[in-house]
Amino acid sequence: MRNLLGKEILFFDGGMGTLLQERGLQAGEIPETWNILYPEKIRQIHKEYLLAGCNIVKANTFGVNCFKCKEMPHSAEYTVESLVDSGIRLVKEAIVEVRQELHNNERPMYTALDIGSLGKLLKPLGELTFVQAYEAFREIVIAGDKAGADCILIETVSDSYEIKAAVLAAKENSSLPVIVTMIFDENGKLLTGGDVASATAMLEGLGVDAIGFNCGLGPEQMKNLLPQLTNCCSLPIVINPNAGLPVVINGKTVYNVAPKEFAQSVKILVEMGASVVGGCCGTTPEHIREVVTLCQNMSIQPISDKNLTVISSYNHAVYFTRKPLIIGERINPTGKSKFKQALRDHDMEYIYKEGLVQEEKGAQILDVNVGLPEIDEPQLMEEAVTGIQAIMDLPLQIDTSDTVAMERGLRCYNGKPMLNSVNGKKESMESVFPIAKKYGAVVVCLCLDESGIPETVEGRLAIAEKIVKTAAAYGIPKKNLVMDALVLTISTGAENANITLETLRRIRYEMGLHTVLGVSNISFGLPERSRINTAFFTMAMHNGLSAGIVNPSSEPMMAAYYSFNALIGEDEQCMEYINQCAQAADKTAAAAPTAKDKSLTLEDAIIKGLSESAYQATTQLLEQNIESLTIINDKLIPALDVVGKGFEEKKMFLPQLLMSADAAKASFEAIKEALSKQGRKSESKAKIVIATVKGDIHDIGKNIVKTLLENYGFDMIDLGKDVAPEKILETVQEHHVKLVGLSALMTTTVVNMEATIKLLRENGVDCKIMVGGAVLTQEYADMIGADFYSKDAMGSVRYANELYEAGEL
Amino acid sequence: MGAIDSKVVYEMVNRREVYRYLGIQGQMPDQSVCALVEEVLLELMQCMEPRTIYKVYDCDSVVDKLDKQRADTGLVKLYYAKQENPVMVIKSRNLADNLYQCTKVVLMAATLGVNVDKLLQRYEIIHMAKASIAQACGAACIEACCNLLQEQIRQQAAQQGLYLRPRFSAGYGDLPLETQKDIFAQLECTKRIGLTLTQSLLMLPTKSVTAFIGITENHQGCYIGKCASCNKVDCAFREM
Repeated sequence: MRNLLGKEILFFDGGMGTLLQERGLQAGEIPETWNILYPEKIRQIHKEYLLAGCNIVKANTFGVNCFKCKEMPHSAEYTVESLVDSGIRLVKEAIVEVRQELHNNERPMYTALDIGSLGKLLKPLGELTFVQAYEAFREIVIAGDKAGADCILIETVSDSYEIKAAVLAAKENSSLPVIVTMIFDENGKLLTGGDVASATAMLEGLGVDAIGFNCGLGPEQMKNLLPQLTNCCSLPIVINPNAGLPVVINGKTVYNVAPKEFAQSVKILVEMGASVVGGCCGTTPEHIREVVTLCQNMSIQPISDKNLTVISSYNHAVYFTRKPLIIGERINPTGKSKFKQALRDHDMEYIYKEGLVQEEKGAQILDVNVGLPEIDEPQLMEEAVTGIQAIMDLPLQIDTSDTVAMERGLRCYNGKPMLNSVNGKKESMESVFPIAKKYGAVVVCLCLDESGIPETVEGRLAIAEKIVKTAAAYGIPKKNLVMDALVLTISTGAENANITLETLRRIRYEMGLHTVLGVSNISFGLPERSRINTAFFTMAMHNGLSAGIVNPSSEPMMAAYYSFNALIGEDEQCMEYINQCAQAADKTAAAAPTAKDKSLTLEDAIIKGLSESAYQATTQLLEQNIESLTIINDKLIPALDVVGKGFEEKKMFLPQLLMSADAAKASFEAIKEALSKQGRKSESKAKIVIATVKGDIHDIGKNIVKTLLENYGFDMIDLGKDVAPEKILETVQEHHVKLVGLSALMTTTVVNMEATIKLLRENGVDCKIMVGGAVLTQEYADMIGADFYSKDAMGSVRYANELYEAGEL
Repeated sequence: MGAIDSKVVYEMVNRREVYRYLGIQGQMPDQSVCALVEEVLLELMQCMEPRTIYKVYDCDSVVDKLDKQRADTGLVKLYYAKQENPVMVIKSRNLADNLYQCTKVVLMAATLGVNVDKLLQRYEIIHMAKASIAQACGAACIEACCNLLQEQIRQQAAQQGLYLRPRFSAGYGDLPLETQKDIFAQLECTKRIGLTLTQSLLMLPTKSVTAFIGITENHQGCYIGKCASCNKVDCAFREM
């Protein structure tokens, strides 16, 4: 089949659901069960489509996965394997029968394993982990391959992360061709925010055989969307539209574009570049017959390689073009003691904040480096990547020399990633290229090898050539390579800048590859580094630098960046430049302290919820040599108590409570910094474990409680949400914790709260348990054996303090 | 049905509802809180993608007038138009009361989309105060979105001289959360508007609503609704 894709026009079959309903499928009855209950009816439908002229028949396996099988009646009979096996077998039987009837052995006829969405959202938004999704798809793929499918169709998925899990499962567990069609809305967006460009980038990177659209829209609407795909796609294009947009008549959903009209629209899709067409919801053998009749002798446009160097996040693609890009460098422990400490403390929030700041300052890509010898880098890399992409949509550059961390980071990445780095050493290329190829990463290639960093332009170019050639042997095209010409400081070699710039120019304009540089190395050892860095940055961009790894918070660097773009005509009406100037001016104005700010005491700042002022006031107190413990006990806590009391008396409300908590946090930051300068650490009263119970993913209440308890000096071990009772037990035992806080929102999950309490008691754990959440009441808390029911945010603080003062923690 | 304009949702959001969800009742909140609420609402407007879907069914609602307490004294059946066999059968006294004398019922689902959840997660990491406000705003926004949809339906019903009952969702009173499974199957929520249901019957994205809206010729009983008809009188968020 791979030989035909993109060369000859091929036809998919049409919809199954409506036809089954006509043949007796009841509302609520699951279509795939008919593979076992009424196989002759399924086979008959397949035959009708084959007789109508199609080439690829989708097996009746669209809704088959482990989650949906659990909800089927008589679940022992309906397993993934049995339903997939029967589904595939029925298509193959239909093909044999039709070939006999038509005496035709020439027309290609293929069986497609049809894999639909699992119907569940993936973490962090949903409850399903990437691994669980992968396993579910893997089960389907193995069954389909075993049953003899000719290809795998992944269709009607509207989440790029889920698509990735499915594609990896398909490619890692079979060698069948993989076709992916996605369901976009009229605006060309996937449900979880992806667009055509970002999805295409990711799928091409993962090595699928064909990409396209299905469902959601009729052929007329897909006509509007197709140009977005043909513009960036270098693979054969598949379109399976619905028979128009759905209309509800008498409670039933119908699609009412007639076969001839449908075929006319599909013909235009082929003219526009589709090479595989068929139908989805509402289409019938008649629709397919009309399409085949009209289109079968059409010649298809050859697919051209668009030669795009592109990376993507879950929701947008970033192209390497004439306009340079900023790769934010700050998520990197090198030379940053605070960052190193944050990594050791597993302070993920610190990392996320660095990401958010860089985004605000204009970075289009973020470098992520968490390499520190004493920590579990692969684990931390996975957490950093999944955590950052949960709250931000910038594409990431996975930066590590540990291939295990590399694979972990690339695997869980939602999109087409960038990888830093590979170099010209044999060992590096052999270990990195296979990983890069599998996940479709754009790889940064360092122009050094076993002999070190060449001192000449020719030397570096030779290594670049070597890398390109070796990459090609691994199936990695030039467009997925970005060269780093390497930057050595001019303080050790006067020609270092010239060498880099000349290498850069030739790589970009002679070899035709995109380039990247870690700009700030140029000034190492010199004073006023930003002056040199900025000048060099401009020179490099002028000599073909596609992306600079810089600190976006450096105003001179960003000023140089925006100026350059305006100067080369890549800034329409200089709008970005003008905006950036305005933002810089605003910032200067805001930073100027006013007389009013200066006079605020720490207490006032906390009560009013002003974080900046709280920070300033604390710094001032510390400068007056007041002990941090004094500041906390005599000023901070009393201020928080005032707010807490106001909250309980309903004079102040949750937002103010939290703004005060934020202000207190800022104050703590100042104290922590001062203490670490003295080589000391802040003390905590006691450890408390807090978690949202299994099955529940509401955590804002828990997070509020955590913030407040932290402010009152407790060391919070936050296990997150959807936490199994066993994990809570394990943590409590490991850290000898005496107070546990459990949260649940729903009647369906509060049973797990009971289970957790039971498990702790049964194991003889000596701890107090406090509970909270919208679904709880005092009676229920008593019933499940909790020690304390906290009906609002402050309740837990009061209780924890009581226990602490009584010496019970 | 389909998309609802987020700008309209932003304008129609009831600020008092936001304050109520924040636990502030019977008074105006502090200036700084009001300002934050407006700021968050603007951010929500920019990232929400309101989507709705609904179907109309014939309805049959039966209540046992003598015994008002037990759940199985109310039975509701939904049918496709002019069909004999019901497609949904629900045992719930409270739903049956809500749909009493309704000839038709609308089954609806609405969601603000995943980007709102992403924004919430972001705030929870960097700005707790805004996170709690965003929760309240999100809840008020999805209600506003439902109100807008309901208004569309109300106008259609009015043309036929019919009225709408207050909307009633799974989890209200004795209408079990399990009903969500049937609702999701009927409306094809996941496929049509990207709304999913977890194992524990939680909806994701979180700012989402499914509901029954009864349609009746009978004018009475169409104004009482929401908190007044709920018997959890000690709820912290009960509307005064």
